[in-house]
Amino acid sequence: MSTILQELETKIAGLKTATTKSNTGIVREVGDGVAKIEGLSDVMLNEMIEFPNGEYGLALNLEESEVGCILLGDTASVSEGDEVKTTGRLLQVPVGKALLGRVVNTLGEPIDGKGPVKNEVSYPIEKIAPGIIKRRSVSQPVQTGIMAVDAMIPIGRGQRELIIGDRATGKTTIAIDTIISQARLNKVGEESGAKDFRPLYCIYVGIGQKNSNIARSIAILEAAGAMKYTTIVSAPASDSATNQYLAPFAGAAMGEWFMDHGMDALIVYDDLSKHAVAYRQVSLVLKRPSGREAYPGDVFYLHSRLLERSARVNEQAGGGSLTALPIVETQAGDVSAYIPTNVISITDGQIYLETDLFYQGIRPAISVGLSVSRVGSAAQIKAIKQVAGKVKLDLAQFRELAAFAQFGSDLDAKTKAQLDRGGRIVELFKQPQYSPIPVEQQVAVLWAMQNGYLDEVPTDRVKEYQNKLQDYLGTRKEGVLAKIREKKQVDKEVEEELKAAVNDFKTTFR
Amino acid sequence: MKLNKDSRKLSRQLFQSSFADGKLDNTRIAAVVESILSAKPRHYLAILKDYHRLIRLEVEKRHAIIESAAALSAETSRAVENDLKSKYGGDLTTDFRVNADLIGGLRIKIGNDVWDGSVRNRLARLSEEINHV
Ligand SMILES: Nc1ncnc2c1ncn2[C@@H]1O[C@H](COP(=O)(O)OP(=O)(O)OP(=O)(O)O)[C@@H](O)[C@H]1O
Ligand SMILES: [Mg+2]
Repeated sequence: MSTILQELETKIAGLKTATTKSNTGIVREVGDGVAKIEGLSDVMLNEMIEFPNGEYGLALNLEESEVGCILLGDTASVSEGDEVKTTGRLLQVPVGKALLGRVVNTLGEPIDGKGPVKNEVSYPIEKIAPGIIKRRSVSQPVQTGIMAVDAMIPIGRGQRELIIGDRATGKTTIAIDTIISQARLNKVGEESGAKDFRPLYCIYVGIGQKNSNIARSIAILEAAGAMKYTTIVSAPASDSATNQYLAPFAGAAMGEWFMDHGMDALIVYDDLSKHAVAYRQVSLVLKRPSGREAYPGDVFYLHSRLLERSARVNEQAGGGSLTALPIVETQAGDVSAYIPTNVISITDGQIYLETDLFYQGIRPAISVGLSVSRVGSAAQIKAIKQVAGKVKLDLAQFRELAAFAQFGSDLDAKTKAQLDRGGRIVELFKQPQYSPIPVEQQVAVLWAMQNGYLDEVPTDRVKEYQNKLQDYLGTRKEGVLAKIREKKQVDKEVEEELKAAVNDFKTTFR
Repeated sequence: MKLNKDSRKLSRQLFQSSFADGKLDNTRIAAVVESILSAKPRHYLAILKDYHRLIRLEVEKRHAIIESAAALSAETSRAVENDLKSKYGGDLTTDFRVNADLIGGLRIKIGNDVWDGSVRNRLARLSEEINHV
């Protein structure tokens, strides 16, 4: 009690030097979530502007005698003639571990009904990205638990990997699966008490989506026990364009806190197409000039400035990382539209999802030929490299051959073998949603495939074989899985044990 | 009304030519208005409005509004006025107002800048501080 009194006394003492200087302006025009303000001669770009009755806005357009300001929160209470003032502050959001398990809006205010966020620190939402000197190359993996991704398009911590595809091709599902996989790994890692274990915290930013979609994602994460390690920033379609435009930056600030404190985090921006649309809307009401597809000229800068904030920093800077999984929606598979080309050029690779594959039942509908990861292979563990090194090529060749085989009747034996093999790999990589596969299981299954164990299994039973093998290894041969996990490679010993295990299993599978 | 580039440039030029010795000059302003009205260039009404706005903002920069909770004595008023003039120059105009909402203390506004030493402002800041404890 007495400390509170003391604190109060010092606060009051501080107020004795009590004259404050502020810079003011008058609202001349208000509408569409934007206010035109006359005055504010000392305002800074992106500074918070205080309106009467405690509302805030952001100064975005600084003109000679007028300031264009986007309104945050309740825009109805602002009217012409209001006197506003500068605050000397930039827009900040709460950051820190208190946000894990929470659902917040763009301003970091909780919307999950679980009471106030007990954060100790706030970060400005716009921050300069770490420079070249502070950065380090990507070398630790993000295990997505999606076999096709981990084996063929590996993602490293600090990387920016785009998820791109038409509507309803499973883009969000890939991101959600990755978050679920992290939660499982975090849980195992924490329970093992290993000192060098680095948990990966997740932030999911939903931009311009239907409320029902976001609610569904939350429910899935909740059911999978993943909310404990996750923050959701929600700016649904019903929010103002301003809030949708700012949401990814708020999420990035939350992610940066982990990176700054030597921890690892992953952020999903779902999706940047809708984000660009929100930004276009904000720019149009601010009467900024527009360019290609009516987007403002600086939409490229907008997205590069956002994605540059993902990085892996070096040991001197704490060794933390922020991995980004931006999502972009294409129209009829057109990746050469404005926003897709922009974001492709900013990221370190893309996972390309195809409608055709999706409807053929190949899910996740990843197009092997068009998906790449430019830096992630450096982060792949050796075991996966050993068993999956050639898979991507095999599969790409298979797709090509399969297209030809439709026309040709007689195929030579070699082609036929390649086709058979490809068909089995395709089956292996089919994976139901929300069920990530641990990396050691992936290694075991791919090892079995590589060593010809699947050649005797009819293609339509490959999936069944895989599931049963995974069950068998998980319940009966936990030892060899643990060895793969620890050694991170398939050496002589592991190879022998795998051989024995898979041979054993073979006798039970018929 | 959105002013086009040329009109904006013109009104700005006219505004700049309205000064004598660094101060707004009434005869010059009158001459500018007269010339616009007689020449009637394209968009002259919009130009005139913009010119008026620039002049108004400039006048406000040289005008102090001094608010207090109760009327100040003639002596205090004079002291405040002299003080401000010594800082801002002799051509500063002043306007003394009574605003009981301030509870006590003074609030002075010159152009865009506000110096607030009122009790109301202190209380507002105190309540903000306490909410952060
Ligand atoms: N691996 C999978 N196996 C089975 N069903 C899947 C798989 N991935 C996604 N789906 C289903 O496909 C549908 C679309 O998935 P999702 O919402 O992830 O796609 P999206 O590309 O994010 O869609 P939108 O364009 O609406 O954002 C969902 O009903 C989802 O359940
Ligand atoms: Mg989606």
